[in-house]
Amino acid sequence: MDMKRGYYEDIQLFESNVVLFWSISFLIFIFTLPLYVPDYHFYLLNLVLVHIILAVGLNILVGYTGQISLGHAGFFAIGAYGTALLMLKMQLPFFLALPLAGFIAAFFGFILGLPALRLEGPYLSIATLGFGLTIMQIIGHWDFFGGRTGIQVPPLDIGFGFILKTDVSKYYLILIITILLVIAARNIMKTRVGRAFVAIRDSDIAAEVIGVNLTAYKTLSFAVSAFYAGIAGGLFGFVLGYFNPEPFNLILSIIFLVMVVVGGLGSILGGILGASLITILQFSLLKNIKEMPYIGDFLVAVSNRWFTVVGLENFGSIVLGLIMIGIVIFEPLGMYGVWLRIKKYWRTWPF
Amino acid sequence: MKKQSLSVLSFIIAMSFFILTTSVNAAPGFDDKEIRIAAWGPQTGPAAPWGSVARGPAVLASLINEEGGIHGRKLKHFVRDDMYNPAQTKVVVKELVEKQGIFAFVCGTGSAGGLAVKDYLAENKVIWVGPATSIKEYVFPVNPYLFSIYPLYEDEGSILAKYAVENLNIKEIGVIYQNDPYGKNGLDGVRQRLDKLGIKAVAEIPVESTEKDLSSHILKLKNSGAKAVLMWVNPTSGVILLKTAATIGYKPQWIASNTLSDFALMHKISGGLWEGVITGAFMLSPDSTDARIVRYRNAIKKYAPEERPGVFFMAGMMFTEPLIDALKRAGKKLTTEAALKALNSTKNFQGIGPRVNWTAAQHQGTDSVQIWRCGPGGSTILVQDWTVNELAIWKKK
Repeated sequence: MDMKRGYYEDIQLFESNVVLFWSISFLIFIFTLPLYVPDYHFYLLNLVLVHIILAVGLNILVGYTGQISLGHAGFFAIGAYGTALLMLKMQLPFFLALPLAGFIAAFFGFILGLPALRLEGPYLSIATLGFGLTIMQIIGHWDFFGGRTGIQVPPLDIGFGFILKTDVSKYYLILIITILLVIAARNIMKTRVGRAFVAIRDSDIAAEVIGVNLTAYKTLSFAVSAFYAGIAGGLFGFVLGYFNPEPFNLILSIIFLVMVVVGGLGSILGGILGASLITILQFSLLKNIKEMPYIGDFLVAVSNRWFTVVGLENFGSIVLGLIMIGIVIFEPLGMYGVWLRIKKYWRTWPF
Repeated sequence: MKKQSLSVLSFIIAMSFFILTTSVNAAPGFDDKEIRIAAWGPQTGPAAPWGSVARGPAVLASLINEEGGIHGRKLKHFVRDDMYNPAQTKVVVKELVEKQGIFAFVCGTGSAGGLAVKDYLAENKVIWVGPATSIKEYVFPVNPYLFSIYPLYEDEGSILAKYAVENLNIKEIGVIYQNDPYGKNGLDGVRQRLDKLGIKAVAEIPVESTEKDLSSHILKLKNSGAKAVLMWVNPTSGVILLKTAATIGYKPQWIASNTLSDFALMHKISGGLWEGVITGAFMLSPDSTDARIVRYRNAIKKYAPEERPGVFFMAGMMFTEPLIDALKRAGKKLTTEAALKALNSTKNFQGIGPRVNWTAAQHQGTDSVQIWRCGPGGSTILVQDWTVNELAIWKKK
C-alpha cells in the first residue's frame, strides 16, 4: 500500500501532509505531557525514553544489518560510566561528555565488529556475550570506576546556569535527544549506508558482489549501534542518580534483544513500541498487586494456596513472559506488525 | 487519507487514556486511622532469600494493631519487590511515596538501591529507619531522615578478631573478604584490632562474589598456616570455602560475619559443615527463650504461618522496633518533625537487637554485636553477649 514512485518520495521524512500533521500533533502531545500526567510517572517515562534510544540503535544492528549482540549492556555501561566519569574526573560539561562517551562506546563497538566479520549466528552471540561480561568484570574490579560500590553521578548541569533536578526537566532533555536520535536513525536507513546494512542482512555474499564493503559496513553497524547504546547509557545514569555494575548484566542484554524482537525487527517504530511496552511491563506491571481492587485479594488467595511465600511477586514476571511469548507466536513481525494491521484495517474501513 | 488520520487519533487517545487512568495525587504518610510504613527488598530473582527481611515488619504491625495500634492509629505495611536492581528500587519507592503516601520506610535491602533513593527520601521528608545493610554513606555525614541500627562491618571485624585472639588464643589469623565495601570494611576492622594487639594477619585474600572455584584461595590460606579464618563473603562463597577446605583436610576455626548467621539455612546448604562456625550477630537468636523473641515467634505463627522464623525474617521486626518506640513517644499529635524529634532522642532502646542510641548529630545507632557458634543441627549457641567495639573510630569524632 505504500507505493513509492520516485527516490525523493522515498527519502522524505513525512510521507504526506496528513502524516506531518499527526506527527506534529503527537509531538505537541508529548511535549505538553507534564500538564496531564502526575510527576511520579516521569521517572518511568525517562526510563522508557532511554530504552527507546537503545532499542532503536540495537535494531540498526539486529533488525537492519542482521547481526546479533548479547553485549549491549556492556555498551550501555560504557555510556553510563563514561559520561559520569568524564564529568566527575575531567570536569567536562554534560553536552561534551555525553557524545564523547557515545564515541567511546562506538569505538568499542568497532572493535567488537571486527570478529563479527568472521563469525555468524551463535558464534557471534557468544563473542558479544563475552564482551558484555568482560566490561562488567573490569568495571567491578577497578576502583577508578567505583568498583562494586558504584558511583554517584554529578548534578546534571546542562550549561547556561541550568541544573536539571526534577524528573520532568530531565524528561524534556531526554525527549529532545531521543527525537533527534530517532530521526537520525530513520535517515541513516534511507542513505547508502542504510541500504548497505539491509543488503548485508539479506545476503552478505550478494552484498559483497554488488560492491558493498563488508568490513567497513559491518563494523560501522556495530559502531553506530554502540553509539546509541552509549548515549542511552549516559542518560540512564542521570535518570538513576546512582548506579553500580551489577544491573548491567547478561539479563539486561537479553531484555534489550527482547524489546527489539517484540517491537518488530527492522523497523524504527518497532524499536520504539517494543522498548515502551517491555519497560512499562517490567517496571510497573503488578508491582502493587496486593493493593489492587478486587483482583488483589483473589491473587493473594491463589498465591497462598499454591505458591511459596514470595509467589505473589512472581505474577508480574509470569504475565510479562506470557505477553512476550504471545506476541512472538501470534505476530511474528512484533508490535510493528500489529500496527501495520491496524493501519490496513482503517485504510479499507468500512469494507 | 481520513481513515489514516483516524487511526493516529485513536492511537493518541488510547495512549493518553492509558496514562491518565493511572494518575493519582501524592498523599501524606498517615491519617487519623493509619500510619503507612513500607520496605523494599528482592522478592524474586537470585537475591530473593535476602528479601524476607522486608516482610518481617508486617507481622510486627499486626502485633501492634492487635493491641490497638499507636495512639489509635493502625500500622499498615507495604512490601515491594525491587529485584535487587537500583532502577527498580527507585520506581517502587517513588510509587509508594507519591501514590500510596508513606510515613517511614523500614529495612531496605541492597546497597546500590538504597544509595539511589536516600537523597530522594530526604528531599521528600520521608523517614527511613533501620536499613537492612551497613553502609557508611548512610550515616556519615548525618542524614537527618536516615537512622541506622545495623552494626558497621568494621566494628564487627574488630570484635571478632579480638575474640579470636584473646578468647580462642589463636595468633595466626587469615582473612578472606569479598572485593566490595562489605568485605573491605570487615577487613579494616580486623586490621585495626590486630594492629592494636601487635599481630599481623598471615593472609588477606580478596574474593569476587561471582567466583565459584575457591580452591586456590583455600591452598593459600592453608599454606599461610592460618588457624582461624575470618570471612566477609556471601552465603554461597562461605559454603564453597568450607566444602573445599574439607576436601583437603584443612580445618581452621571459621569465623564469619553476621550476614552468614542464619545457621538453620547455612547448616542445611553446607551439608552440616557449618557446625562449629563462629559468627557475629546483630540480634538475639531466633530460637532463644527471651520473652520478646517468644512473643514474636508466636506472632509469626499466628499472622504469617507460612514464613520460617529465621534470623532475617525476624531482623525485619528488629529494624522496625525503634520506629514503633519513637512513634509511641511522639504522642497523639503526629507529624514528621515530632517523629524525628522522638527518634533523635532515642536513648538506650533495647529491643531484640543491640542497644540503640541516636542523637541529632549521630545516626549510627550501635557498635555492638553478639557472638554465636553454630551448634548441632543448625542450632545457635550464644558464646558472647552484646560486645562493644571500644576501638570504634566513628565514636571518637
